[in-house]
Amino acid sequence: MKANFGLFFLAIFLVAVWTGWEWPYIAKLMPVYIAAIPGFALVLVQLYRDATDWEGGRGGQGGGIEMDEVYDLKLEKKVELRRTVAFFAWFAGGALAIWVFGIVIALPALVFLYALVEGKERWITSLAMSACTFLLVWGLFEYMLESRWPPGVLFR
Amino acid sequence: METSLFDAAAQGLLNLIQLKVWFALLAGVAIGTFTAVAPQGIGTPLVYAIALPVVIRWEPLTGIALLIGASSVSAICAAYLPVLFGIPGGGGSQATVLDGYPMGKRGEARRALGASFMAGGMGCLIGTLTLVIAVPAAKPLIYLMGSPELFVVMLWGLSMVAVLAGRRPIKGLIAAAFGLLIAMIGQQAQSGVMRFVFDQPYLLDGISISIIALAMFGIPSALDLALTKLGVEQQAVPLKGSLFDGIRDTLREWWLVVRCSFVGVWVGIVPGLGSQVVDWLAYGHAAQSCKGARESFGRGDVRGVIAPESANDAKDGGDLITTLLLGFPQGVATALFIVALLAWGFLPGPEMVKKNPELIYSIIWIQGIAGIIGTLVGFVLSGQLAKLAELRYTFMVSILFIFILMGAFSVHRDPLDLVAVVGFGILGYFMRRYAYPRPAMILGLVLGDLMEKYLYRSMMAYGFSWLARPAVIVLLILAAVSFVFTLRGRLKSKSESPASLGGAMGRAEDES
Repeated sequence: MKANFGLFFLAIFLVAVWTGWEWPYIAKLMPVYIAAIPGFALVLVQLYRDATDWEGGRGGQGGGIEMDEVYDLKLEKKVELRRTVAFFAWFAGGALAIWVFGIVIALPALVFLYALVEGKERWITSLAMSACTFLLVWGLFEYMLESRWPPGVLFR
Repeated sequence: METSLFDAAAQGLLNLIQLKVWFALLAGVAIGTFTAVAPQGIGTPLVYAIALPVVIRWEPLTGIALLIGASSVSAICAAYLPVLFGIPGGGGSQATVLDGYPMGKRGEARRALGASFMAGGMGCLIGTLTLVIAVPAAKPLIYLMGSPELFVVMLWGLSMVAVLAGRRPIKGLIAAAFGLLIAMIGQQAQSGVMRFVFDQPYLLDGISISIIALAMFGIPSALDLALTKLGVEQQAVPLKGSLFDGIRDTLREWWLVVRCSFVGVWVGIVPGLGSQVVDWLAYGHAAQSCKGARESFGRGDVRGVIAPESANDAKDGGDLITTLLLGFPQGVATALFIVALLAWGFLPGPEMVKKNPELIYSIIWIQGIAGIIGTLVGFVLSGQLAKLAELRYTFMVSILFIFILMGAFSVHRDPLDLVAVVGFGILGYFMRRYAYPRPAMILGLVLGDLMEKYLYRSMMAYGFSWLARPAVIVLLILAAVSFVFTLRGRLKSKSESPASLGGAMGRAEDES
């Protein structure tokens, strides 16, 4: 999977070079010559290192401090996978619901269902959270600021 | 006629005498306090990502007050999670666990928090003062820098950030290149060419940085909470002891505060180092320089709290030195701050120093005032804020869902915004999982347009002869040498944990 993710970047840089090659010089200078071609070469190096287990063979990576958050979750693989899939399902479902029903209905419903089903909160707590969400999305934006959200596909 | 810096400083302060600026500052302080105390993962970058689509529609000073207020305070109040739960807070408060949590366990949680607020407040003021001094000191140098020099500085800084990002410099460079590429999506202003648009009207103006930042930082943060079920599976130590003991400790150790604050400022200035590093550097310095540290650090020595917290807060001053004077961001938060400044029509760097010095001083004043307010908030509301740290994950994930989806949808109110946020959220998850540093990508994304603009100006004004300018040659040599040496060093050196600080970490692990 580690190498597969490197292949994602490889594909992106390859498409970028392919697409941008015919552009005028000034248009392709940054994206092709400064970003995509060096990026492509670097990904090849990284894929080689992944394939030969370069970092493992050297007793760990180069010294340094992680600039990004370190992914060091200590959960069983199955539990982690299940919770991750569930999380993205909720998130994508919420996004889909916004498109179908509109944000004023979808967000409070998402919060209510997430708290009740996933979080196993009490009904009253889930309803209160949902009500606060509605107040924020409709009360603040539509009522006070008169900034109308677009309706969902179902209501157009 | 050019304004003198003294007049600019005075004008900068006068510009703040508006009620809405103060309301925005207080709102920023409230948001920063909440995010510092709330369960981990919700840091300044995410706050900026959420706030960006909203504040860019405000007047500049009002928006700046909210953003700076939030970031300044979130560092001051970041010690709650380390002291009460023994888990690292946001970047910059990881080392605080080593001594803060033992203090909490032996009934001195308030003393630890008091020391962290006082040290943080003092660190913030020292960082701000350094920024004040830096503006006139750097001005002659900044005036010498044109588009070619700025392009090289940005390229150097970006490559250093990428190489220093974590233990996998190659991945950092890949992430930075990817960020540069994403920044190129849309119609190029100079040539009119539609780049990577693929006949999609949505991509004509590129993908909104707000959406990308929200997705790449917000979704993995929310996922962390959902995975760990924080607030359900962790319990806080009781809040005992005296805040005033912590204040007294900090005043007694004033020289340690000053030294560590300058460590923080230095970390803020140097490209590539960031909040993940500042607390460890300061802690390490304190461990080596303080009397009796070998025996007491890692066991609840208050100096082990004072050192990282003062450095963490002073770092903001250092960050702003390079952000405002050179236009180069030091991390995701300052990168998004630059996005906001650009949206308001200001170009950070030499142009801002020449044309808008009063705005720079307004930012400095806001930074200092926010630090003072944040320190007071920490002291006054310590009991109430401690309860926030115990919020169950369902509340936090729900809040994040709301702000991420609403924030993304509010950019264009287009369903494709939702597709973008889900897509980049999944990308952010995989990038973090497989250690492709997201900050490097975001920096590439933010700097892409600026770098291209400076490169274009250089090419139009000088052709390729800009490469022969003396300042450019010097900068290129410096950049190449430092890049090659750093990369060689990183690729060859064995793994070194930042936690291998003598006996402190070992004791902390044994005794936890």
